Amino acid sequence: MKVSLKWLNDYINLKGISLDEILDKLTYAGLEVEEVVDQAKNFENIVVGYVKEAGKHPNADKLSLCKVNDGTEEFSVVCGAPNVASGQKVVFAKIGAVIPNGGMKIEKAKIRGQVSFGMLCSERELGISDDHSGIMILDPALKEGTPISEALGMDDVLIEVAITPNRADALSHIGIARDLSALFNIPLKLPELKLNESSAASKSFAEIEIQDAENCPRYVGKVVTNVQIKESPEWLKKKLKSIGSRPINNVVDVTNFILYELGQPLHAFDLDMLNGKKIIVRKAGSDKKFVTLDSKERNLQPDNLMICDAKIPVAIAGVMGGENSEVTASTKNILIESAFFNPSSVRKTAKQLGMSTDASYRFERGTDPVNTLFSAKRAAQLIQETAGGEIAKGEIDAYPKELKSIETFVRFNRVDKILGYHIASDEIEKILVNLGFIIKEKSNDKIAVIVPSWRHDIEREIDLIEEIARIYGYNKIPEINKITIALEEKINQSAFNNKIREVLNSLGFFEIITNSFLSDSIAVKFGKPVSILNPQNSEMAQLRPSLIPGMLYTISKNIKVNEKDLQLFEIGKVFEKVSDSAIQSFDDFKETEQLLFSVCGNSARSEWYLADKPFDFSELKGFAQSFLGKLLSGTNLQVRYEKLPKDVMHYSFEILAGNTLLGYGGKLNKEICDIFDVETEVYVFQTNLIDLQKVMLPQRNFTELLKFPKVFRDCAFLINSEIESDQVVGVIKESCSNLLHNVKLFDIFQSESLGKGKKSLAFQLEFYDRNKTLTDEDIDKDFRNAIKIVEQKFGAQLRGS
Amino acid sequence: MINKIEDTRKNFDDDLVKVTNLADLEELRIKYLSRGQGLVSNLFGSLKDVKKDDKPKVGQALNQLKIYTQAKYDELKEKFETEVNSSKQIIDLTLPGRKREIGSKHILIQTLNEITDIFKGWGFSVYEGPELESDYYNFEALNFAPDHPARDMQDTFFITEKFLLRTHTSPVQVRVMTENKPPIRALMPGKVFRNEAISAKSYCLFHQVEGLVIDTDITFAELKGTLVAFAKLFYGQEVPYRFRASFFPFTEPSAEMDVWWQPKGKPGRWLEILGCGMVDPNVLINVDIDPEKYTGYAFGMGIERTAMRKYGIDDIRILFDNDKRFLTQF
Repeated sequence: MKVSLKWLNDYINLKGISLDEILDKLTYAGLEVEEVVDQAKNFENIVVGYVKEAGKHPNADKLSLCKVNDGTEEFSVVCGAPNVASGQKVVFAKIGAVIPNGGMKIEKAKIRGQVSFGMLCSERELGISDDHSGIMILDPALKEGTPISEALGMDDVLIEVAITPNRADALSHIGIARDLSALFNIPLKLPELKLNESSAASKSFAEIEIQDAENCPRYVGKVVTNVQIKESPEWLKKKLKSIGSRPINNVVDVTNFILYELGQPLHAFDLDMLNGKKIIVRKAGSDKKFVTLDSKERNLQPDNLMICDAKIPVAIAGVMGGENSEVTASTKNILIESAFFNPSSVRKTAKQLGMSTDASYRFERGTDPVNTLFSAKRAAQLIQETAGGEIAKGEIDAYPKELKSIETFVRFNRVDKILGYHIASDEIEKILVNLGFIIKEKSNDKIAVIVPSWRHDIEREIDLIEEIARIYGYNKIPEINKITIALEEKINQSAFNNKIREVLNSLGFFEIITNSFLSDSIAVKFGKPVSILNPQNSEMAQLRPSLIPGMLYTISKNIKVNEKDLQLFEIGKVFEKVSDSAIQSFDDFKETEQLLFSVCGNSARSEWYLADKPFDFSELKGFAQSFLGKLLSGTNLQVRYEKLPKDVMHYSFEILAGNTLLGYGGKLNKEICDIFDVETEVYVFQTNLIDLQKVMLPQRNFTELLKFPKVFRDCAFLINSEIESDQVVGVIKESCSNLLHNVKLFDIFQSESLGKGKKSLAFQLEFYDRNKTLTDEDIDKDFRNAIKIVEQKFGAQLRGS
Repeated sequence: MINKIEDTRKNFDDDLVKVTNLADLEELRIKYLSRGQGLVSNLFGSLKDVKKDDKPKVGQALNQLKIYTQAKYDELKEKFETEVNSSKQIIDLTLPGRKREIGSKHILIQTLNEITDIFKGWGFSVYEGPELESDYYNFEALNFAPDHPARDMQDTFFITEKFLLRTHTSPVQVRVMTENKPPIRALMPGKVFRNEAISAKSYCLFHQVEGLVIDTDITFAELKGTLVAFAKLFYGQEVPYRFRASFFPFTEPSAEMDVWWQPKGKPGRWLEILGCGMVDPNVLINVDIDPEKYTGYAFGMGIERTAMRKYGIDDIRILFDNDKRFLTQF
């Protein structure tokens, strides 16, 4: 909210308090100052000047050479304005001034051979109007040397205050002044009513009927007759302009003034335009269309609360008035509306209609139901002052549902318990009184209060404690450096994820974090996505059912900037609907934490010792095995292969621990990569972190180091090409005793010279016994047996024999 | 025969002097020591013609010759090989080392870990919760009244009327308090979502870390003490700070903490780093904790802004672009 410091001074005397102190106090108390415009700063070095002499410039017909006095000195100034004349009081921008409009800096300048020590300004140059026909001529009574900001009354300070949603009461100048009153312990001066009412009663001019008391607990109407609609007086226009509100006419300006002064939104109806001279507050019902005073047609919902006359709606309650009853130049008689509407009703209506006005903003946060009466009266008084006419006697006060004032209390020891600091009870009382609380009772241990009608945010003890702490000052509460430690079991979910990150980092993988939103067309390719009800755009309409799209976007973007060799991973949640039905409970969708890592491009770029080596399937598999091997060391992992192409990948494999699937990986299908404009081969491995964590051994036990040597035997077979290496390894393992501990494929060779459809596979067999040194005889039996069975089973032929 | 042995030794010595490299040495070996044709080997062949009485003497001399020649040969061989090896090391030492690329954690995770590590040292345990939340956990249990403008503070992505993407990590507070009894000292990091247009200043999702402490005798002064200690560890011992009153439906009194930020060559300013407050009694009642017996505090901070400040990043989107040129910097 924009606040004028001058305006604030109407209600609280802040003289003698520095601007910085005021701003700090507001901010500390929760009325955060976001921006400050000190108008006087715009007019530094610009003063009232006296034109002592205005003669012709010796070298230019259209220029004048003037002698200007600033109260202490005389300056020679070149001026191009046609209206400059000696004896005038003018706006004199001295050297060092910055012209408010345009930002030109005034320096000593030679103009057509004559030195000019400053500039005389037009209204446009000052930024106060568009007039640039000549220089601005000031009131001759002004004293030369007076700062122009003061001379023109442009010495206000405008403060932009961020008001949190709980503080509806602070959405006005008096609201802010009240907090300042408590903060500085300076009394608040409320405007006084001086009503000059006629004998005719308001009730005789109009009638008010509330049909929905729930949503409109109070509606005050006050009538002013025979007004003259015209431009507002200068003081009123200036007040409104100072906070950026555009003056319209005297009656409308008064209602706006009250809004910013008291926080009560008002509406002025042209009484003669109201059918039946009647106001009915009711739901829109069958009324479907309504034209608001900004000339826009609104589509009403049946439960929108409307202000109607005897026949038709004339305003959307609490949001905006209608064109059909607005105050115009020919308006004579006025009905002022000052009402209290149910905040949530106004909020719903404003949301449904997509409207937000100064009025709805305040109503939906909660206005002061008691203040409605005062506001109506003050408006009538100001309308009479600015538009003449007669104020009808009394008000039409429809108040079917009286809002009870709230009473609560605060225990002094509770203040200590919450704040950890003792605030004296007198201090507490003073703070509450300054904020408008009425003290009902005070004892040694507590104080009972009536909450002011404008504070909808206060009903409990804790609310009072906050008020006390806020006004007393958070920064005066000490910082206790001793903490009480709660001993509890550590939850190691995030530690587990960090361990994953570290293992992957050491394997060369970089972590990424991608957007969790996907477009419809992409999301459905990866599962049953959960849709966003109110997406930002169609590209972000679904929650990701998989981490693969985000990965492919990332790969695609990187390739475009020539980063082609990528090892990336992401840890994140994926979401999937369990069935096609709508989500009604946590059982209707699955949120799973997953890990995806990918490789693409080259595993190694050519170096002096190495040729380019593209990533391939076995490299991915190796990463998966290394990763899981490190993470789950001690767990027996199996690999299973799936050769049929799936929707997303072909050439795939799964890694299991017992019956638990730990993850699967493979090469992404070309069709999938094409969607993301990725032409390179991409290999990914994905795993469910919850399952992974379940499998991880809580503790690794030490295994005795081997005391006896290992013995290795090599053999190579000539074998049919279609036979997979893993099958041969399996057979070798089966055919040996438990002395065999590992079989390693160490060479593959394929060549015409071996014969068509043949390849050579070379294996190294590792034998050892934990309890003795093995002899050749111990091993020979196993080794021969293995060779024999491989030869039989696969029609293989031992090479080099 | 003895003479023959002596001659061979002399010849060997003469030849030995002429040997200057491995190739010469190999010739020498073949001439004297090779099996079958070497001069020394051949002498052993002649041993059978020596008289029986002389045999031990000749044999001994022959053995000595063999040992002598072999030793000389070995000595030279080692010498030459060392020379050759050291001359091989003339290979270009400036050739690039065979580097391995080490990966890295995302800087948001690094920043998050830095923060959580500080609090872990103070006995906080880490908890996580779902990102797709119900209205109850995200708003209702946290004292957000239905249809209250406070809900507008957080632009929400809805899934249905009752389900949404969490707008803050605070729902995890509710879950922790529902599942655990005080004393509670919890830290809750995670991803949150706000329906804000993507720009240099805002993204549709970001990360937060939330803290919660519930016990008897927890006060606002302790909240301040803890957060000031954090700010000093994270932003430097001398960092100026302040607490301002603020509003969150789930804490009261509520505050925001600012630290003074002094960017290089620019005017300094107060920068909001976190929101905090004493847990509102309504929240405690919602999770069956007696607010008369227990009090507590909560705080929450955004990771993106913290990281951006720390690393001098001025566009939030680069954090989610995952450009390798960016990733490899941290």
